Amino acid sequence: MLNKSLTKRQLGLLLLIGGVIGFLGIIAIDVLDVGREGGIGPAQRIALGLMVGLALLGLTLIPMKDTPA
Amino acid sequence: MIQAASRTETAPSALITVNRVLMAAALVILIFYFIVYAVYAANLIQFPFDYDQGEGFELVDTILFSQGKWPYLDTNVYPFYSSNYPPLFHIIAAPFVWIFGPAYWYGRLLGFLGTLVTAWAIGYAVYRDGQHRWIAILSGLAFLASNTVYHIGPLFRQHMTMVMFEMLAVLVLAHANEIADKQKRRRAFIAGIVFIIAAGYTKQLAYATAIAALAFLFIRNPRRGIISALILVLVGGAIFMGINVATNGQWWLQTVAANVNDFFPDQTTGLFRLWFGLHGFLLIPAVLYVIYEFYFDRLSIYSLWFIAATANSILSGKWGAGDSYFATAIAAMCVLSGLFAARTLTGRWHFAPNYLTRFLIHPFRRFAPVIVSAGFLLIPLLYIGYGRAVLHMPTTGAFQPIAQILGIQANAQNGFYDSAGRIAGGYADIGHLTTQADIDGGNTIVDLVKSTDKPVLSEEAAFNLLADKDVITNPTQLLNLANNESYDGSALISMIENQEFGLIVLRAQFYPPAILRAIGDAYTHDEEVPMNGFSYIILRPK
Repeated sequence: MLNKSLTKRQLGLLLLIGGVIGFLGIIAIDVLDVGREGGIGPAQRIALGLMVGLALLGLTLIPMKDTPA
Repeated sequence: MIQAASRTETAPSALITVNRVLMAAALVILIFYFIVYAVYAANLIQFPFDYDQGEGFELVDTILFSQGKWPYLDTNVYPFYSSNYPPLFHIIAAPFVWIFGPAYWYGRLLGFLGTLVTAWAIGYAVYRDGQHRWIAILSGLAFLASNTVYHIGPLFRQHMTMVMFEMLAVLVLAHANEIADKQKRRRAFIAGIVFIIAAGYTKQLAYATAIAALAFLFIRNPRRGIISALILVLVGGAIFMGINVATNGQWWLQTVAANVNDFFPDQTTGLFRLWFGLHGFLLIPAVLYVIYEFYFDRLSIYSLWFIAATANSILSGKWGAGDSYFATAIAAMCVLSGLFAARTLTGRWHFAPNYLTRFLIHPFRRFAPVIVSAGFLLIPLLYIGYGRAVLHMPTTGAFQPIAQILGIQANAQNGFYDSAGRIAGGYADIGHLTTQADIDGGNTIVDLVKSTDKPVLSEEAAFNLLADKDVITNPTQLLNLANNESYDGSALISMIENQEFGLIVLRAQFYPPAILRAIGDAYTHDEEVPMNGFSYIILRPK
């Protein structure tokens, strides 16, 4: 299995999972580090946007099934 | 190639003629920019002082390496100097110090040659995958025609050498998985990893290319991707740890901890807008090609590289960063737009059937002949449009008649026109040619530095180097450290307060505020010397 190329579906799932975990992780920075001031900063907003984009990209790839990525 | 021939054979002859005329026009425009670039490089190579802020400290790093010393030093100990850049570029330049002594020309020549290698590699990548010689040439020239590449290419800076190693890495790895011979495949993987490590040890920003390359290798063959990542981490990590031990931890402090700078979102936004304004004609086909690969073909390393490099360009909003952070994305853009153009001209688009082809492709199949014909006109027009968008050239001397024909006037220093227009913060205010008056101004400052027996605190290294005096401090690095609360400064402040410097030379005043306050208290403005469009402030003890 590890010697085969990923499929579009597998890549889509990886991107979706990565995007969701990344999104939650960025949010968690403020939850865990409660002493931080200023809420979600500009760099965080950009990163959150990228994570949403990553997850959406993943979602659109999942229906591509077993096409090699 | 067969498909290229068949596409040309099936197109109407009039259309082919128009295509060739437009392609020739695009080629002439981009060759013109190459000439402008070569003239600029030749001019800078002969200029003996700092042209861009900080070049002299790259030279100091090179001198230190040529003496077998690390430049990652304790900034609280005289001469308060340290570097925040990895070593490879300076190590490559070090042999020149042994032969020619301290000078700027060889660092600038290396930077310039690095961009030529990158342009060649872009052209080769496009030709290998696109099978269209003209487009391959245009793609390489388009890289050199970019305003960003133009103005930082021939500097004594490591950035474009990093881009060269990055480009060579993706070029080598792009088809490594398809090499049937095991030994050759292994050599290709090793070469790719070596180039990635070389890029990373030229400048830290190459980490994005490493991520893209490893992601590509993982997608194509997870086992090889994991092994490559392990090798990269082990070798890269061992070098990192080795340097850190050898420098008593200064390597970590100076190149990593001190590089966490303030982020200005407006600067990033401005630079992205500028990037699109200048490169939009090639960015759009590059983005379309990435989308095409995601949904209708296999993902190439170039697409992943483009995505990673573009995302990494967000860091251009950091203090001390700028448009140079887009150079890697520009290289990737040139490859992808070239592949888009070559596919269009050779008719090699194919769309794997999936849920998207039903909505996005099938309804337009009947327009295919019109779209193909339009492509013959559109592709060269994209390169011509790009040529218009990136317009930059001297407006004086031999270029004056051309500037008059084009109806442009200098909008930057020393008779230089730049379509970027300096609208975004972080865009380097350079690109003009230096003059004899600039060299005279520099020599005046060197004479002033020589005239005192005491050490001189100069914001640029060239004056002290040419006066054979110690180079004291690297102001931007002191500021990096101060911004990260890792700088003491008391020893340097004490020297300033005691007026131990015979002279202080300021330009951009990039020292930490505490140092500038001490200078203001103990030294007084004596005179200003113009050089290279800037006013160098000479201060003497009060």
